[in-house]
Amino acid sequence: MKRVMLALTLAATSWLAAAQPDIQIEDAWVREAPPSARMLAAYMTLKNPADQDQVLVEVQSPAFSHVMLHRSEVIDGVARMIHLDEVVIPAGGSVQLEPGGLHLMMPAPETRLSAGDRVPLVLLFADGNQIEVQAEVRKKP
Amino acid sequence: MSKLEKTPFFLPLLAIIPALLGALLLTGCSAPEPPELKQATLLPVAKAVADFQLTDQASRPFTLDNLKGRWTLAFFGYTNCPDVCPTSMAMLAQVQRQLEQDPDAAELPQVVFFSVDPERDTPELLASFVPYFHASFIGVTGDPDQILKLTRQIGIIYGKTGGSGADDYLVDHSAAIILFDPTGSFHALFGVPHQPELIASDFLAIRDYYEAVR
Repeated sequence: MKRVMLALTLAATSWLAAAQPDIQIEDAWVREAPPSARMLAAYMTLKNPADQDQVLVEVQSPAFSHVMLHRSEVIDGVARMIHLDEVVIPAGGSVQLEPGGLHLMMPAPETRLSAGDRVPLVLLFADGNQIEVQAEVRKKP
Repeated sequence: MSKLEKTPFFLPLLAIIPALLGALLLTGCSAPEPPELKQATLLPVAKAVADFQLTDQASRPFTLDNLKGRWTLAFFGYTNCPDVCPTSMAMLAQVQRQLEQDPDAAELPQVVFFSVDPERDTPELLASFVPYFHASFIGVTGDPDQILKLTRQIGIIYGKTGGSGADDYLVDHSAAIILFDPTGSFHALFGVPHQPELIASDFLAIRDYYEAVR
């Protein structure tokens, strides 16, 4: 009986492994914003352990009208936001979405989000992979 | 030769006399050393600012008088900005909390968020934006010409960009934090990346030096 259980467990594990997308998403969070905020931002780390680049092309969320890939940068003392069509996560590498850099810009929240709430985000990749993450709303200094 | 051409000849001499007197006084009573600053850039001479007429988050007038009598840390941004502005405002709240706990700080600077998007940033909107970061923070908006009148005096630049509709644009804007001294003059600026503990310690160093040489 034990053997059967072990075999089943191994089979289930290998099936899960095969179905797992290559990208790992860690520490997804949304910055809690003032009550009047009409724009929020989300951050996370995307890791790509595979030997092929992965390309994030779109993010969707039922909590916002739409989600945009953005990068903040300061050039000659001026802060700008650049709209990106895609974000490449290099093979064997990672990409960090963080305050003041790459981020998801999310306009028009459906409801006021407070620290502790969870926001579903669906990440769509160029190869057809979809990953859903629950980003935690955090109040950050 | 006209009198006009002779006049400039005397001016440099007249200017040298107070400078010499000043130098004698300074060497006589060991002048305080200028502070060693980690993040701030101190203007060689503080720049006086001409008056402007703006409005705070409670719809009260906010003019040059509101910058007088205390130090001011000012940030220029807009409430529709999801990344840089909330990060900077939260960072300024850290500066303020650090100064609150510092026995040397005594009187705290006021922190003012000036909107560079006055068309969308009404006083009502600022009233629910600015206090979120710190109860004492002030939000200022108003006539676009008056915002420009202030910002062009202190080297802050901004401009609309992108967006697909009339109400759906972004604003590029200077990321620096401006320090006004208690005369309302532009005294120093803090460039990026901002580090709250360095801004707090540089602020105290600048203030102490200002008071020592006054």
